Amino acid sequence: MGLCPIPLLKPYPFTIALINYQMLQIENLTKIYRDGTVALRDVSFTVEDNEFLVVIGLSGSGKSTLLRCINRLVEPTEGRIVWNGQDITAANQADLRRIRREIGMVFQHFNLVKRSPVTTNVLAGRLGYTPPSWSLINRFREKDHKLSKEVLNRMGIPDKADNRADELSGGQQQRVGIARALMQEPKMILADEPVASLDPVLAHSILGNLEKLNQEDDITILCSLHFLDLVQRYATRVVGLKDGRVVFEGDAKDVKKLSDKDFKDIYGEDAERLGA
Amino acid sequence: MSTANKSQERLSLLHIFLSFVVPGLGQMVAGAFQRGLSFLLSVIVLSYLSIWTIAQKARFPEEYIGAGTRVFFLLVLEAFALLVFLIALRYLMARFVLRDAASQAFSIVGFAVLYAIVVVLLINPLLGTIADTETLSRLHAQTAVISAAAMAAFWFWQALDAGRLGAKQKAASMTPGILITLVLIFVLGWSITQIDLGKAISEYRDTQKILGNIFWPWRVAFEFEITSNEASQKIQAPCPPGATGPPENEVLADETWISATPTCGELTVRDLTGGIEFGTEMIITGGGYEPGQIVEIWWKNPIGNPFQPRSVGETSILIDENGEFTSTLIYPSAVVPDTAVGDQIHTLIARQESEQIFTGNLSREMILALTTMLETIMLALMATFFGIIVAFPLSFLAARNLMSPISSPLRTIIGGLFLLLPALWLAAQATSLVASSLGGLEKAPIPIASIGLILVILFGFVGYSLGGRALSALNRSVAEARTSLITALLAAPLGAIVGWIVGLGVANGIVSIPLGAEVLDTTTVSTPFAIISGFDGGISFSSNPGLAVTIAFFTSLLFALITFVLALRHRAEGDIKIGLVIYTFARTTLNVIRSIEPLIWAIVATIWVGLGPFAGTIALTLHTIAALAKLYSESIESIETGPIEAIQATGATRLQTIIYAVVPQILPPFISFTIYRWDINVRLSTIIGLVGGGGIGFLLIQWIRQYQYNNAGLAVWLIAITVASLDYISSRIRERFV
Repeated sequence: MGLCPIPLLKPYPFTIALINYQMLQIENLTKIYRDGTVALRDVSFTVEDNEFLVVIGLSGSGKSTLLRCINRLVEPTEGRIVWNGQDITAANQADLRRIRREIGMVFQHFNLVKRSPVTTNVLAGRLGYTPPSWSLINRFREKDHKLSKEVLNRMGIPDKADNRADELSGGQQQRVGIARALMQEPKMILADEPVASLDPVLAHSILGNLEKLNQEDDITILCSLHFLDLVQRYATRVVGLKDGRVVFEGDAKDVKKLSDKDFKDIYGEDAERLGA
Repeated sequence: MSTANKSQERLSLLHIFLSFVVPGLGQMVAGAFQRGLSFLLSVIVLSYLSIWTIAQKARFPEEYIGAGTRVFFLLVLEAFALLVFLIALRYLMARFVLRDAASQAFSIVGFAVLYAIVVVLLINPLLGTIADTETLSRLHAQTAVISAAAMAAFWFWQALDAGRLGAKQKAASMTPGILITLVLIFVLGWSITQIDLGKAISEYRDTQKILGNIFWPWRVAFEFEITSNEASQKIQAPCPPGATGPPENEVLADETWISATPTCGELTVRDLTGGIEFGTEMIITGGGYEPGQIVEIWWKNPIGNPFQPRSVGETSILIDENGEFTSTLIYPSAVVPDTAVGDQIHTLIARQESEQIFTGNLSREMILALTTMLETIMLALMATFFGIIVAFPLSFLAARNLMSPISSPLRTIIGGLFLLLPALWLAAQATSLVASSLGGLEKAPIPIASIGLILVILFGFVGYSLGGRALSALNRSVAEARTSLITALLAAPLGAIVGWIVGLGVANGIVSIPLGAEVLDTTTVSTPFAIISGFDGGISFSSNPGLAVTIAFFTSLLFALITFVLALRHRAEGDIKIGLVIYTFARTTLNVIRSIEPLIWAIVATIWVGLGPFAGTIALTLHTIAALAKLYSESIESIETGPIEAIQATGATRLQTIIYAVVPQILPPFISFTIYRWDINVRLSTIIGLVGGGGIGFLLIQWIRQYQYNNAGLAVWLIAITVASLDYISSRIRERFV
């Protein structure tokens, strides 16, 4: 994990130390949709290793587009995204798949395959490591099966493995979503409004899970949220988006100092506290 | 309120007049061009329909359209005059008699009812005159009067509408116009489809016996041994002068007997025009039968064919308590060939089926019906099976959400297509080489066809991707403009090929496109081109093959030019949505196949592989493919995109995404649709035999044509039982999956 992927630099460990290697760099990212909507305008920031970075902003401010540009579920129009020294935006299909499997993703609506059992949903996280021909007969490696049990155990739902995904409650479904991301053995997890469709207690529980991954497994978390107290409680750094532009950038201390008024500046009048 | 009412009644007389002379003209002048045009077209179409119906039904000997027009418009005028009279009456009543509140009550509905009543009352006096002068039957005279009255009402209504529009008022409500049109169409429809409720009632009695046979046919399902009492009497016919005929039988004491007198006479003669000349009448007596039971009279002609002479007397006679009967019968019409020599001796038989012994076996008919029923179910199964195999992959091509993101640059497509053609030609050559080395297509059709298919796919794929890659590589090494030019230059010959085919097709009539040059050489065809260019009748291409080639040449030149210009003007960086092109093509093809009924496919298939269940299987398979692919692709279109996104985010390939995110979502609807389709196929396969597609329908139509209604009833019952039970089973299976 600590090795630099650029071969030239390999023999010079000293240089690596000097460069202060940054995990994810977003440079001048712009996304204009086909219908002319400008979702992101010239967005630049850096995500350091092991950060819990929260992107805040009104719905429609470009948070989802930003997260989806990082693993190119959405093709950026302009700009560069550099992941461990590799330009994601220029990667070909094969490279893109290799990059994607190092970046887990968690969604607001969980995006589980509802009719499939929980195990299958979780195992799907290993697809990037599985030969495509194996998938024709629904086959995974033996260690993947073992890993899926461990991961479900860790998420606290080992007994739900054989249930159909849509039989689970919302909180449990999101845990399956995280488990699927965890199966990728990711270096980073993108979480797109992971708690927006859950109630406040569950929200803390899910974010607690992510925080634990962040602290124990050194997984970088890039998460979009829109409740101020959740942001203050979990974020180590915050990027604020408004109309596709970065309007705020600060670390944990700055976030703690954020007043409701500052928050409203980013969010407009719709800002709210979770109130739990 | 009152001012509003006043202004509402203001009408433009000029526009009313215009629309009265030419329907819709007032509206057009008032600025509502489309509205006016649609009224004009409505009047033309409805009038023509009415006139055509009246003239058809009246069967006017000459100039029947002219006569129909005369009748119709006379009636329209009369109805119109009546309408104007009634409206004036209503106005006067409202003005002077009923005053305000009451005139509100005397609404348009009451007025319409009054008009209808007067029109119907007027029918009777009018009918007499029309029916006399124009030989219209009474029924169709009614059609004429009602449709004319409706047309008059429509005419009046649209004139009123023009008056309102002309006075810058709100247009008249569409409801009366639509209602009048519906009445008119209903009346014409009644007349055209020859609905005759009276006939349906009066002729029901004759159908009862047949219906009984069909509804309860089970007697023929089992084998019975029949013992019968039977006696016969020899009859001579025709009766030459001086002949006395065979002797009349004696009355027997302990046995069954019949006797007839006279035993020599003339047969009934029917001529070709339906005329009939009855023959000699005879008295039949008989005895020794079971009392209280029916005896059946049969006639056997000199060459031994028996029939029941129903049209010349009673053939089912009840035996009295003494076991005897007396009846009369005219010598029936039994053709005796001119070449017959000597005395022609017929046999009169009186037979009583006294006892039927159940043998415990199914009858031959029942066994036959059961066997073909099994054939039918298997036919449906095979068709569904093949249908699934083809429809499943096809449905992905016909799903918009999967296909629309697929796009590629123009140069890749053009380059690919350019190499695709020679690749396919090579594949064809290789296949024919293989065929000749295996000793011809007839020796081993299946291996050769499979090899051919694989070669075509393989060569086609390699050719397409190589061509595409070559042009893409070129684009990287030379300037953009030059690549565009090369692309356009390559596109032109492709356009020329399409143009050549289209040109030949136009020249030979659209049908000959797939046949190409063959039609060109051998037949004389009347073509759209010939008609447009003013040739009278057809062009003989066999005598003038140069013409077709000339047409094709110029068309291909034109197409090449158009393709070249289009390709050159295309922005180089803009991708062509090739996925959508494939989607549209797949959808269109499926729709065409699906819109042709399986019965028609079965006729095509019988021409191809001959009568029998195989033809039925082909027909049903084709229809199943189209129907299932449509249903499948629609369920693919309605899946959630979230899981697809999630699976893609794990680094899965496109194939893995389909397997793990698409397939689980579409599997339940797929299973449900498939079972539903199997259900439909069983029902269709029962009737596909009607046109020779095998199965029980084949048997059913045969039995109906042979007037064996008992057996036909058996087939109908088996179909009903099978369909009902499969329906039940399939709904149970579907419940489990959905």
